[in-house]
Amino acid sequence: MAMMRDMIPGFELFQPADIDDAVELLDRHGSDAWVLAGGLDSFDWFKDRIKRPKAVIELGAIGELTGIRETDDGGLEIGAMTSLADVAAHPAIRERFGLLADAAGLVATPQIRNQGTLGGNLCQDTRCWYYRSGWPCYRAGGNTCYAAAPQAMNREHCVLGASRCVAVNPADTAPAVVALDAKMVIRSRGGERVVDADDFFIGPAIDITRMTVLEPGDLLTSVRIPADWANATFYFEKVRDRVAWDFALVSVASALKVEGGTIRDVRLAVNGVAPYPMRLDMVEQAVVGQRQSEEVAANAGIMAIQRARPLRHNDYKVPLMRNLVRRALRETA
Amino acid sequence: MAEKTIGRDIVPPDLVAKITGRARYAEDFRAEGMVFAKMLLSPMPHARVRRIDASEALRMEGVLGVLTAEDVPEVSTPSEPILTMEPVYEGEPILAVAAVDEATAAEAVERIVVDLEPLPFALDPLLSLRPDGPDARLEGNIYHIDDDVREMRTHKWAAADFDGAPEGRLPMGEPAFDWSIGDVAAGLEQADGIVEETLIHQSLTHHPMEPRSCMAYWQNGKLHVHVSTQSAARCRASLAGMLDMDMEDLVVVAEFCGGGFGSKITAHPTMAMTALLSQKVGRPVMLRVTRYEENYIGRARPGFQAWAKMGFRSDGRMTGLDLYIVQDQGPYGRSGDAFTAATVASLTYQPEHMRFRGVSVFTNTPPRSAQRAPGGAQIIGMLEPLVDKAARELGMDRVAIRRLNAPASDGWVGPNKGSLTSAYPKEALDKAAEIFGWEERIARSGQTNGTRVTGIGVGLSPFVGGSTGFDGLLVIRPDGKLYVHQGIGNLGTHSIADTARAASDLLDLAWEDVVVVWGDSARHQPWSSVQAGSQTIHAHTRANHAAATQAKRKLQEIAARDLGGSPNAYEVGDGRIFQRSNPGRGMTLARAAERAIELGGAYDGHELDEDLHAMTRASATALAGTGLVSAAKDTYPHDGSTWSWVVGMAEVAIDTETGALEIMEFTGVADCGTVVHPRSLAAQIHGGCIQGFGIARSQKWVYDPKWGVPFAKRFYTARPPGILDVPLSPRWGALDIPDPQTPVGARGIGEPPVGAGSAAITSAVADALGGECLCRTPLTTDVILAAIEGTEKPYRPLETHV
Amino acid sequence: MEILRRAANPWGQEVWIGIGWDLMWLALILGALFTIGHAIWVRSTRGEIPAAPSDPGAASGIPERVTRHGGSARAFHWLMSVAMFALLITAFFPVAGIQFPWVTIHWVAGVALTLLVAWHVFDSSIRRDFWSMWIGRKDVAEAFAQLKDVLSGSEDGGERAGKYPIDHKMYHHATVAVGLGVIVTGLLMMVRIDTPFWPQNPYLLGDGTWGVVYVLHGLCGVALITMIMAHVYFAVRPEKLWLTRSMIKGWITRTEFLSHFDPEKWKVADAGTEVPTAGGGSGAPAGVTPTDHTTV
Repeated sequence: MAMMRDMIPGFELFQPADIDDAVELLDRHGSDAWVLAGGLDSFDWFKDRIKRPKAVIELGAIGELTGIRETDDGGLEIGAMTSLADVAAHPAIRERFGLLADAAGLVATPQIRNQGTLGGNLCQDTRCWYYRSGWPCYRAGGNTCYAAAPQAMNREHCVLGASRCVAVNPADTAPAVVALDAKMVIRSRGGERVVDADDFFIGPAIDITRMTVLEPGDLLTSVRIPADWANATFYFEKVRDRVAWDFALVSVASALKVEGGTIRDVRLAVNGVAPYPMRLDMVEQAVVGQRQSEEVAANAGIMAIQRARPLRHNDYKVPLMRNLVRRALRETA
Repeated sequence: MAEKTIGRDIVPPDLVAKITGRARYAEDFRAEGMVFAKMLLSPMPHARVRRIDASEALRMEGVLGVLTAEDVPEVSTPSEPILTMEPVYEGEPILAVAAVDEATAAEAVERIVVDLEPLPFALDPLLSLRPDGPDARLEGNIYHIDDDVREMRTHKWAAADFDGAPEGRLPMGEPAFDWSIGDVAAGLEQADGIVEETLIHQSLTHHPMEPRSCMAYWQNGKLHVHVSTQSAARCRASLAGMLDMDMEDLVVVAEFCGGGFGSKITAHPTMAMTALLSQKVGRPVMLRVTRYEENYIGRARPGFQAWAKMGFRSDGRMTGLDLYIVQDQGPYGRSGDAFTAATVASLTYQPEHMRFRGVSVFTNTPPRSAQRAPGGAQIIGMLEPLVDKAARELGMDRVAIRRLNAPASDGWVGPNKGSLTSAYPKEALDKAAEIFGWEERIARSGQTNGTRVTGIGVGLSPFVGGSTGFDGLLVIRPDGKLYVHQGIGNLGTHSIADTARAASDLLDLAWEDVVVVWGDSARHQPWSSVQAGSQTIHAHTRANHAAATQAKRKLQEIAARDLGGSPNAYEVGDGRIFQRSNPGRGMTLARAAERAIELGGAYDGHELDEDLHAMTRASATALAGTGLVSAAKDTYPHDGSTWSWVVGMAEVAIDTETGALEIMEFTGVADCGTVVHPRSLAAQIHGGCIQGFGIARSQKWVYDPKWGVPFAKRFYTARPPGILDVPLSPRWGALDIPDPQTPVGARGIGEPPVGAGSAAITSAVADALGGECLCRTPLTTDVILAAIEGTEKPYRPLETHV
Repeated sequence: MEILRRAANPWGQEVWIGIGWDLMWLALILGALFTIGHAIWVRSTRGEIPAAPSDPGAASGIPERVTRHGGSARAFHWLMSVAMFALLITAFFPVAGIQFPWVTIHWVAGVALTLLVAWHVFDSSIRRDFWSMWIGRKDVAEAFAQLKDVLSGSEDGGERAGKYPIDHKMYHHATVAVGLGVIVTGLLMMVRIDTPFWPQNPYLLGDGTWGVVYVLHGLCGVALITMIMAHVYFAVRPEKLWLTRSMIKGWITRTEFLSHFDPEKWKVADAGTEVPTAGGGSGAPAGVTPTDHTTV
């Protein structure tokens, strides 16, 4: 079949009005269904004619998927269809969970943040250009990782957590929700289940064709931010080639509880280095109880990269990750 | 008297349409029975088409026809064909399908079976030059041109030439072309300080906002095309040539163009493709080129793998410059970038001795064409950090060393040491230093604030700024208005309006009384320059000045004839022609236009100058009798070549822990003669410099070497700069010193800012890194961080497309 | 049913990616049908297991317990079975929807299997009687006799076998073919994954060749599903449990020996040692070391 790009093939569009209908549609169409949120990932796939779902279930009409509300335990529940711009600007998020506001505010461009949703950002597919060029790689059901070949162009790819596939998770908000210990609320015909953000993202070792635990029939409906980390000391940084419209080369998100100069608790996640936002639990354990200092931060950075294994073109990601971890734990952070 | 328009901001006549969305670009047009086309692009970097089976596609409902290489005129190697049976780059059009809508056409393309036999391919010129390296084309890897022969050849270097390649030293085998001034060895011998580096400059797609969409239909034997082109009249001429048809049978509508940057100078093969497909299926055909397709067929700047050695006396004067450029030619044609680069280097530094050697190697990557300062932008961005290095070694100020070497108006350019019309780069450097605050800022060079280190950069960038000898065509109609017919394009530079001012000012007309006629060849265009090479403001202020001078003469003669006295006693002003000594005695231009029609002959265009181009002659003849018609060729004297200059100065901050680069301040100052349109000039300086920022820091190609397939094929992956990558309030200035050899005094400005923007950043980054020249572009975050950290570089020595 | 998975390579050429996973289900179904069919068939046609001929002469000199599988042979069998199950589980469970990080276990098990097989080949060809597994004329005659019995409904148990009956030998050789198929293709595929020893490289072979490698690996893999199902089925059948026990404990009883084997073909000496002889009816040269071979 000759290759054709930039022309969306036909599909059947469904615009359910509530979650139950959406879940029913997803169940009915199974793996032929495609969940369409802001469309910023989806339309790329559609116009390149690489993903050709039969049924597209567009969530824009489901009011209950949008909005931010306080939960009884003092946390927040953010509807999956809430725009990234709204997440970035929401007073309660900014005030108590600024980490997420910062991360959402650094996604792509203002236009994309208006159109893109939190759920879509978290569920988006990898941007590996081999995969997204429609090559028959592992992630596409084939038996090759072209990006890991000796001569491949892989400056944006993994240094950690690879398993045959070396693509990275591109989501800016992903390390933030992991650091905030967020809970992902998933609905399917079987009912509702809640998955820790840390477990929501999966690597190719577990399933090489998916980025998250979501399977056909599943719908991410909201993200719950527990009160545990409200008003902690946050740090988010995204390093990229351009100030706008760029995914992170490496990003870091941290939440710290510091008392009297001592780190009482910490959650730390890095993205852009692995196929999933990587929580650095070893580093967390190492720094808890330590006095916050340049030395502790520096050692944490070194510890973070211990198992890093760069590819041909991405050696730089190792010091970059080290330095970002260091910055995330620094006193001045 | 009407206020002169030159030197002040005006509202260009296309502005409202553009900002309200009413402007109709090529793809906005519709014609009765119009169908849509989609192209089938080669999936391989080099292949032979063994068989095309379109039967299944043709059986689809709504599919009207398929155009293949068999249906298009043949071209001779190494010219680019309209469609091909031997694709020489991934993405090259093999065929086009017409169908009732795009969805059907796209599906039809998918159902066409093209049996391809893969052929050897080359992505990297240096690999092709290796003794056993692949050739990009079956006929060879270079196009040899000398006085006697023009032919494809296989050009290989000896294995020993590559001895230094693993360490990143450019191999320099037998060049394909060279020139010298003086004795470069002697020049370098005299030097007190030498700098020498291998330099890598990426290839770059043009990425205009508007892809080269096209709509074509045939009516009564005439071809009508709606296109996106930089140059209206010249596009018509070249498309007629491409289709081997009479220009009179071709109507080209090109009123708006969403950017070209040199990629749409004249006709493009897709225009001919659309026209021929329309002819074949007997329906109007619209080809909406997508962003993805534009990346392949939309032209690119040739990349360089180069080497330079510079010698300086202790006072900073450049004694010798030795330059070797390996040019990535893409699969077709012969780009002049390498030659222009050497010429620009000779002009910028006025070396006492210079040698240039080079070779332009075919590769299986998209076709190259001029891109805004072709050759100049590359070489200035690459060489300026070397000048910095020399200044550092000699303990000189970096502006001072440039000032010392830059030419004055008595300077020279190129291998023949040609003269200049005028040049004020020294003054531009002074003015830029003043606006930028060079003295204060340079004190911050290398200073750190937290993890951020400051770098200060400067780039001095010339480019050709004008041509001569084109025609102006004006009509003063009985409505009293001046109709300026423009054959130049409307690229977005306001040239259609700004060059008309030469006429309106000379005829002392208020801007409201000027009607610019442009964009539609049915509306009568004069022979014009291509809207490229920063020629237009120079070429067409001259042409319109010449036509207005003729018009004024005709007005004076009509007035004298009707009102008595000598023609020279009459003056134009406020829409009238009147006696200078008795302003009450005169007539309106409206009346004069009526009189011109009554008088006929030369006055209303029935008699024309002999030296006019045939296109102008035809247009003026068509306009004859509509008013006072004036058609004149620019015959103003012009000795030497015309160059404009831009100085770019930048302050950057590099985060030493992340490699992140922020441009904190930028100033661009132009020496481009008389300032015609300040706001437009600022846009050109800033826009060009921003394009240069992209070259220096982010924009690139990425190719998988195994498959010969690119990845940076849309805006996101190609990473041209965004507005947030630009400092909030970049500053600008212009010398506003008229060029003495052109009546309005204006020189072109489109191109020199690119090199200035690029060089200011490459220079500033090297400064921030303590004088270490990374000597390659783009200086992306990873490249900078790897340099700071000393980790393995994210590219291999001499590697391109990474 | 999808038999082959195909895809367009980066140049748009169609290449094989591997077998269609429907074949996995087909293999499972075939395995199930075989076992169920066999069980039904046995129940409907077969009566008692033939008793041992009460020829005292034949029993004389046969020890109480006849060693069938030595320690090393049993160790090989069980280690291989662990590796094989690890390979099958890591290969097919994820396809069936049970997701876990399988790649490392799969290749480590594959390497283990390769080493075990290498050792086994060495062991059986150098240290023991390579030819005992050979299928000779007598085996063929034996097979015909058995077939005749089966077709004629005869219940006399037919001719008794040597140490390795023909069906065991045939199964062994099928396993050899399929096992070598997965091992050779699997070893090739090792260059395509990241291991501590080398970075992955998908371009050792052209993608067309790789497609063949993947298809062979897959075909052999699914064949193993059916074969191992059958093998396990026979191992747990009541009338075969004595053989299974022999693979655990190493010996069979004299009665079992006499009822299933022809002492002329499998010569057994006192104290459980075997008399040097060629394997059952093989064309192997006489006087070679007695074999201790694994089989079903």
